[in-house]
Amino acid sequence: MANEIQKFDVVVIGGGPGGYAAALYAAAAGLNVALVERDKVGGTCLHRGCVPAKEFLETAHVRRTLEHAGAFGITAGPVSVDFAVSQARKTDIVDKLHKGVSGLLKGRKVTIFEGTGRLDANQTVTILDGADAGVVAQGTNVIIAAGSVPRTLPGFDVDGTIVLTSDEFLGLSHLPTTAAVIGGGAIGCEFASMLSDMGTKVTILEGLPSILAGCDTEVATVVQRAFKKRGIDIVTDAKITGHKPSKTGTTITLDGADDVTVDMVVVSVGRRPRTEGLLGEGTGVEINERGFVVADGYMRTANPNVFAVGDVVAGTPQLAHVGFAEAVVAVKTILGEDVVPVDYDRVPWAIYSNPEVAFCGLTEAAAKERGYDVVVKKDPFGGNSRAQIIGETDGVVKIIAEKRADGTAGQILGVHMAGPWVTEQLGAGYYAVNWEATAEEAAALIQPHPSLSETFGETLLALAGRGIHVG
Amino acid sequence: MAEVTLPSLGESVTEGIITQWFKKVGDAVARDEALFEVSTDKVDSEMPAPASGVLVKILAAEGDTVQTGAVVCIIDESGTPSTAPDASTATPAATPAATTAPVAKALTATGAAGVVVSPVVRRILADGGVEASTVSGTGPGGAITRRDAERAVAMGPTESIVRPLSNGQRRMGAHMSVAAQSIPHGYVAIEIDASIFDAVAAAGGETSDGYAITPEVLVTLAGVRALSEFEHLNAYFLDDELVLQRTVNVGVARHVADDGMLIPVVHAAAGLTLRSLARRVVELDERLDTRQLTTDDLMGGTFSVAGAPSDTTLLSVPILIQPQVAVLSIGAVRQVPVVDASGETPVVRVGRRVVIGLSFDHRVCDAVGAAQYLERVGELLSGLDIASER
Repeated sequence: MANEIQKFDVVVIGGGPGGYAAALYAAAAGLNVALVERDKVGGTCLHRGCVPAKEFLETAHVRRTLEHAGAFGITAGPVSVDFAVSQARKTDIVDKLHKGVSGLLKGRKVTIFEGTGRLDANQTVTILDGADAGVVAQGTNVIIAAGSVPRTLPGFDVDGTIVLTSDEFLGLSHLPTTAAVIGGGAIGCEFASMLSDMGTKVTILEGLPSILAGCDTEVATVVQRAFKKRGIDIVTDAKITGHKPSKTGTTITLDGADDVTVDMVVVSVGRRPRTEGLLGEGTGVEINERGFVVADGYMRTANPNVFAVGDVVAGTPQLAHVGFAEAVVAVKTILGEDVVPVDYDRVPWAIYSNPEVAFCGLTEAAAKERGYDVVVKKDPFGGNSRAQIIGETDGVVKIIAEKRADGTAGQILGVHMAGPWVTEQLGAGYYAVNWEATAEEAAALIQPHPSLSETFGETLLALAGRGIHVG
Repeated sequence: MAEVTLPSLGESVTEGIITQWFKKVGDAVARDEALFEVSTDKVDSEMPAPASGVLVKILAAEGDTVQTGAVVCIIDESGTPSTAPDASTATPAATPAATTAPVAKALTATGAAGVVVSPVVRRILADGGVEASTVSGTGPGGAITRRDAERAVAMGPTESIVRPLSNGQRRMGAHMSVAAQSIPHGYVAIEIDASIFDAVAAAGGETSDGYAITPEVLVTLAGVRALSEFEHLNAYFLDDELVLQRTVNVGVARHVADDGMLIPVVHAAAGLTLRSLARRVVELDERLDTRQLTTDDLMGGTFSVAGAPSDTTLLSVPILIQPQVAVLSIGAVRQVPVVDASGETPVVRVGRRVVIGLSFDHRVCDAVGAAQYLERVGELLSGLDIASER
């Protein structure tokens, strides 16, 4: 039986957000689909990424709320944390979501092969290990959604107790007293924020001149300021030379800065594609020098019957929701339906640190780099009534618009937010950018009062020429 | 199994293009139900199924040129229609993708033209009167960005939209442009008494066997009868020679919605009674309506008639149908004030008038000859004995 080739319309390699979305969407269109997953469907996002991290960040939020309860006249007593309970709660949530995805795949009659898939010639996928080892599945089309794994640093061997990546960190049952987070990007800032809110003394070591390098400078500054206010040490331009582990922790050595001694090091220096061993002979699929699969806007690889979606694709943001969108593009392309490629310049970004960050479109710097004359307006959350009510006034909304010949603000190019619940507020900004609205067009729409979203509305009014509260 | 061949599409027509299949493999087909459409340089016709059964094989794809007599499909007269096509039941031509749902079709490297992603862009284009399909987008997949839209609007509303001509329009255009360019047209119109139509109305407007007596039929009858005295108008002009035609085959111009015009022919019309002419015209119109006209129905015309294109048309000036040399045109029959000079003092009363005209080939006829013919048509028309002819 092992050598009998099983035929499908589509074989998907990888059951993370990109892969399971592709499988579900293709199955919904009536295609006969197989999904190859070597661990659990749901992928990094559900099991070792976005979802567990957000549960911990919510735990931190609850703790923060209790600490500030006195300001509302509520006495909560001394706050203590049993992190193992939060860990168990996270596991519970992940299990429920995992069952949900598994149920959906089963309901749509997607055939699941357990094991690691290798793509060979003629769109055949061989299952190398696991319960279905030896199975060979052939698709009229194949979608590669093999995902990514945390990048590591030379000299920092991951041992799961002192040196961890996000994979190990999200399985912790107790929190360290002190920690260093290497890498001040989105993932690093979420971990640093969570640890700090839970009482850990945190140092961020960032090799670039600023944390959150991809974000608009002013948004990054808001986060940096809030972090420092909470006692997070931030070392930028950090040149790490190595570390000296001890029994209880380690001392990280830096060139041109003091050593940092901590109980735990969390390495969050990005994610690399999981493409080693993915391709056999004669697949016609191109892999770039960094190991990513090269695909066009319709997610087609160099082999027109092989598509790639999600983190494994070269030059695209590693975001679960981008993977979802790419999956839809790939499947619609396979079906021959009209589809517009993902506009990677305008996907929504969300960072769940405290304060949160959310943005879409060009930063001020990127807009200028591309030759736009810009008009910029920003409004801090400090004056927002709802922000004062909830007691979280750190933050800003910044909107960048193209400057018209007469100096007024035209099309909105970017919306950038830092502050309370901005990940939930970005929607309006996302529409404004992607529907290519001008400042006036967007400003004419109403935000409810009192709400955090009024800050976005007020910024739009100011951008359109005359604000009520903002100049 | 019944092999369906492409039937004769008329004399001198040896092939046709299959333009559309109305049935697909596996469909049930009833005898005489429209099976496919075939296009020739004369007409698009729907071909009826010669037998009932199940269409099991299509041998000529849409767009294929097929010789008359060639097998185009096979009908299994004992078959039952298949809901889920099964390769084992006599469906050798079942589509390859029959076992599963849709599979990849050819992809285009760039997106579809005129892709509008943003409602803002849609509104800008609408306000500017610009068709999205005329704007090439610079966004992902050819999507029209706000910039593209504003640039397009700044260049002004879309001035022209290319709309492909239908086969019928193309055939009409080809014929008319040749005729208009190569024939020196002349035209004469006269107004004649049309009180004969009061008699038609009094007779119920139809023949004794129930066919409509239209102004077109009545004037055509008179026009055909008059041709016996004006034989040079029932003729072809070929190679600088006038070739008189012994038979009168009279074409009647017909408008086809969005598909140009056709001129089906009543063959051997010279001796027809009013009744048989009315019936022959109705039969042609039925075949026109059901797209059953054959090439034979459209060939052999020696003289043509263009009826009133609307109820208020005064006159029309048709282009000749090559190689014919004359077209009789008819205006709408109108109620008008007429001067009645029969009494001692002329009086004005309500009467009926119709303008009839003749487009003619100036190489074989002139205005005087045309007017004489038209006058004769008028006399014959007035002299018809409706009561006995109907």
